[in-house]
Amino acid sequence: MSTPYRASVPTPGASPQWRSLDDLARLEGGGDEFPADASEWPDALSRRRFLQLMAGSLALAGTGACTRQPREEIVPYVRQPEALQPGQPLYFATAMELGGEAFGLLVRSDSGRPTKIEGNPAHPATLGRSSVHMQAALLTLYDPGRSQGLMKSGSPATWEDLLGTLTEQRARWQERAGAGLRLLTRRIASPTLREQIARLLTKYPQAQWHEHDAAFPAPPLPAGLRLERAEVIVSLDADFFGSGALHPRAAFDFAKRRRADHGRLYVVESTPSLTGAMADHRRALRPGELADFARGLARAVREPGAEADPWIPAIARDLTEHRGRSLVVAGEFQSPEVQASARELNEALGNVGQTIDNLPPAPGPRAAALPELARAMHSGEVEALLIFGANPAYDSPADLDFNAALEKVPFTLHHGIYFDETAGRCAWHVPESHFLESWSDARALDGTVSIVQPLIEPLYPSKSAHELFAALLGELPADGYEIVRSAWQQRPGGGGFESAWRKTLHDGIAPQTGTVSAPPAQGATTQIPPTEPAAFQASLELIIRPDPHLLDGRLAENAWLQELPKPFTKLTWGNAAHLSPRTAERLGLAHGDVAELRYRGRTVRAPLWILPGHADECVTIHLGHGRNCAGSVGSGCGFNAFALQTSEAPWGGRGLEIHKTRERHVFATTQEHQRMEGREPVRVETLGKPTTPPAEAAPAREETLYPNIDYGRPSWGMVIDLNTCIGCSACTIACQAENNIPVVGREQVLRGREMHWIRVDAYFAGSVEAPQLLHQPVPCMHCENAPCEAVCPVAATVHDHEGLNVMVYNRCIGTRYCSNNCPYKVRRFNFLSYNDTHAPQLALMRNPEVSVRMRGVMEKCTYCIQRISAARIEAEKEARPIRDGEVVPACAQACPAEAITFGDIHDPESRVAALRQSPRHYALLAELNTRPHTTYLARVRNPNPEIA
Amino acid sequence: MGQIVCAWQAAIGGARGLRVNSGFARMAQLFPQYTNTLARIALPCLALGFSVVAWAVHAAWFSSYATEVNTPVEQPVPFSHQHHVAGLGIDCRYCHTSVETSAFAGLPPTETCMTCHSQVWRDAPILGPVRESWTTGRRLRWKRVHDLPDYVYFNHSIHVQEGIACVSCHGRVDRMPLMAKQHSLYMRWCLDCHRAPERHVQPMSEVFVMRDEPAQAAAASRLASRGELRGESPPIFERGRQAVREKAVRDTRLEDCSICHR
Repeated sequence: MSTPYRASVPTPGASPQWRSLDDLARLEGGGDEFPADASEWPDALSRRRFLQLMAGSLALAGTGACTRQPREEIVPYVRQPEALQPGQPLYFATAMELGGEAFGLLVRSDSGRPTKIEGNPAHPATLGRSSVHMQAALLTLYDPGRSQGLMKSGSPATWEDLLGTLTEQRARWQERAGAGLRLLTRRIASPTLREQIARLLTKYPQAQWHEHDAAFPAPPLPAGLRLERAEVIVSLDADFFGSGALHPRAAFDFAKRRRADHGRLYVVESTPSLTGAMADHRRALRPGELADFARGLARAVREPGAEADPWIPAIARDLTEHRGRSLVVAGEFQSPEVQASARELNEALGNVGQTIDNLPPAPGPRAAALPELARAMHSGEVEALLIFGANPAYDSPADLDFNAALEKVPFTLHHGIYFDETAGRCAWHVPESHFLESWSDARALDGTVSIVQPLIEPLYPSKSAHELFAALLGELPADGYEIVRSAWQQRPGGGGFESAWRKTLHDGIAPQTGTVSAPPAQGATTQIPPTEPAAFQASLELIIRPDPHLLDGRLAENAWLQELPKPFTKLTWGNAAHLSPRTAERLGLAHGDVAELRYRGRTVRAPLWILPGHADECVTIHLGHGRNCAGSVGSGCGFNAFALQTSEAPWGGRGLEIHKTRERHVFATTQEHQRMEGREPVRVETLGKPTTPPAEAAPAREETLYPNIDYGRPSWGMVIDLNTCIGCSACTIACQAENNIPVVGREQVLRGREMHWIRVDAYFAGSVEAPQLLHQPVPCMHCENAPCEAVCPVAATVHDHEGLNVMVYNRCIGTRYCSNNCPYKVRRFNFLSYNDTHAPQLALMRNPEVSVRMRGVMEKCTYCIQRISAARIEAEKEARPIRDGEVVPACAQACPAEAITFGDIHDPESRVAALRQSPRHYALLAELNTRPHTTYLARVRNPNPEIA
Repeated sequence: MGQIVCAWQAAIGGARGLRVNSGFARMAQLFPQYTNTLARIALPCLALGFSVVAWAVHAAWFSSYATEVNTPVEQPVPFSHQHHVAGLGIDCRYCHTSVETSAFAGLPPTETCMTCHSQVWRDAPILGPVRESWTTGRRLRWKRVHDLPDYVYFNHSIHVQEGIACVSCHGRVDRMPLMAKQHSLYMRWCLDCHRAPERHVQPMSEVFVMRDEPAQAAAASRLASRGELRGESPPIFERGRQAVREKAVRDTRLEDCSICHR
């Protein structure tokens, strides 16, 4: 059964590429072509009943089609805003805050509704690129699950009620100089909010401010890194492409270096990460061994000598040969010891100021940590607790027992975008305005300050943190705009305020606020060293990390992120405990077993995921799942890893035991969907070695029964560079936002019905013990000889004169023949009415330039035809051809590494035509002679000859 | 015909056929004799019935009831294009400001109405809703007259730019006291022009002029409806062809699905 697939592998002898252990077994031993039970009738519905329903719906559909189009209205403005033209979008600069850092954005507004988020090219943290979190922030704005009203002890209340209560409270705080008053926030990026906090702490000197951010214990890593300058990078479990939140800047700079001269990246880590997948050399070590490795490396650079590990002298030599052009980064979740080794190495190698900068801390008062607050609450010292944005009732370490502590506080107030676990336990809950509906400001880690300007009036009676703080302080102005504006007016600055304010609003950054100079090195990060009781020395290690998409659970209600397949596992709607194949074998555990994880007296039940490339003798779990008050989307997905977190070792440690239960878990994973049948889709080359001539790899088969169509100009095409693609999936979410792609939910994902138009396939290559990790984004290939077109009985998918394979929704009758015949498996079918057409908020979110597809219609990547159309119309109005780079599809615009290039392949001057001449250029499944317009550049490895 | 009738009888197990085939057991007659006559009458009736139904569906589909052509739509204010365009000579773009730059031609904000009507016809009762909108800030809600399906993406600016006059689609609005559609806006109607743009494209100076489409266009639509080939070149289209050439309209592109649907 497996013979045909093996025969079609283009380079026999090379290590095969596989997606999972099941896939590998199938390739080697020949398993079933189709997943188990694929041919089974999946429903309780009988065949007879099904036919009855079909006949009934056919008749009803026929009659339904006879209705007249409903009469629509045109509702013009009373006074039309000056710049607004109905039908033409406007773009506004704003910024979002994540992990205490500002990300500058440009947001598209269609008739006053924000409909798409992009990075701001002028902002140093984004440079016009974006990440999954930036893209998905749009759904949070329109989420029908948001908190929609002020609550007092679980019943609706008014803002005036709260103001009355606050006046009473203020009198009490005044009396006692704020003793017993505590503030709890997440990491804050807003200078104005910091000033307000400072004023509160001045007014009530005994009050205390605490900061708790479960996903960002420290500033996001890449802020001070200058990856474009580093020729040799060593990552000690530093996941600068995916840690917590992807930092678009890191991927951008890294890709710049890779394109220039490749450089070399060594990654030593425990859990496969996006950074590990980009490595030229990747090593999986458990956290304890990793600390030894870091120490050994520091020693080897200091005084070269014999080392037990052959990697250490090799890397040390490579580093010392690149003094000032190398970089050693320790992950923010690593112990202070590893951090110290990295710092020592960078200083010894003269990298400080060259490839790594120490960044100035944000001005203003410092906050205390959560454990101190919990202790004070337990001892009854806290009389009033004001929680801003944080959700400690869910995301605090289990040993703090925060919920019990919260009950001892007489006055509690929660300000948040959701009515979450904490809101339900607080006396007052105030809905928080989304950043797209409120005024604020935000500071990037390099000091650049942006104004956060709203694009829409608040959808619900919500308040921004500034407005709530003004009410707390009893200050005027009370309006968000006035608060931010007056704060900016008070700051020193030359020239007229009005013009400077307007310029800052327009550009998205305040001029000359960023600093890139390196002040004196900061001390060690204030992280409590993990205590390792001797009893645990021989046991398994637990690794706790924020979820790559949901972070610490704050984004659990975001359905786009829930359904976005996670790196390497392609798991959706849940989490798992990851461990290596060897450890699983030793413990007699199987993939999908539900096990009890016992860690220092606490227990949680988790399904097990056997992940090749994971370090042995340790287990990784992700935070952010298993919420019970997230809302209708996020509640009840996965297990809660906070139950195992302790405040003294929040990121894990020794002492884990695994006990198998009889239960089994079915993962909603897309890893096995849209399989490439073992045909080695990712081409990997080695730097300096001659590339495989394409003729050898895929014998040219040019003969075809189709007429040869000579497309004129433009003829659109896309080239995806697998050497710079970091696999972050920002393209997937950007596409989802731009093209009104619905989510389908866990049950439908289990049936293989996910709707993403561009998916990111993950492959393992080589041995199970030390596999190479590979990524490949796959959108529609827009084949010239498109197999889908030949089989459509109603010509609903056809070619146009610009080389696009277009999908005509209004012709589609849903036979799904096209999807069957597509070798790339890129077509998506609306099995059900996935688009929620009932929630009025979601109707506001949709891109008006793209049809909302109904049930029974096939859809797929269109190369963002609405953007092509807009560019063509503009060009024709000016009577000129479309310029190269004028059309940018959503995926290419979002890609932080600029790995996706789009343009006219028949224009010899275009970037995409130049890339198609590269020796690394290849077409996916070229042997099928489909002549795709989406093509790839091969991945390149630059191994160190001493290690290889 | 006889052949068909026999087949029909065989299919329904006609009495005669049964009698011939059953050699031994004489079976009771299932159908009485007159069934044959009924069948003979029913066949042409069925054919006729189908034709009538098909004709009725077709007629209904293109009737003004379905297309709403020439059927004025009731509006909150009975705005007269005839008065404003023909009587006062106001240019289309005075109110439909974004027609040259945006997909949507734009409907005037209340402010535009009030530029004049704060001075003239200040107390006219029919302008009550406009004054109310102006004082209360509540928007006027006009009924859409030209409404394409949601999967069609029509762009005014490019049509105007390429020389499609307002009258080509909207008709002589200067003769309409109340606004009504002049064309069905069916896909066939769109394609008539997209397949032969030279029959409708005009020089820019003519685009906003309220004049009947040139005689050749009228003739052209008759030719087109008779299925004449686009390759033919009657001399009356020379001016349109000239305009098409000057504007470099890519006529191969104009028939792509993706030009209107996405």
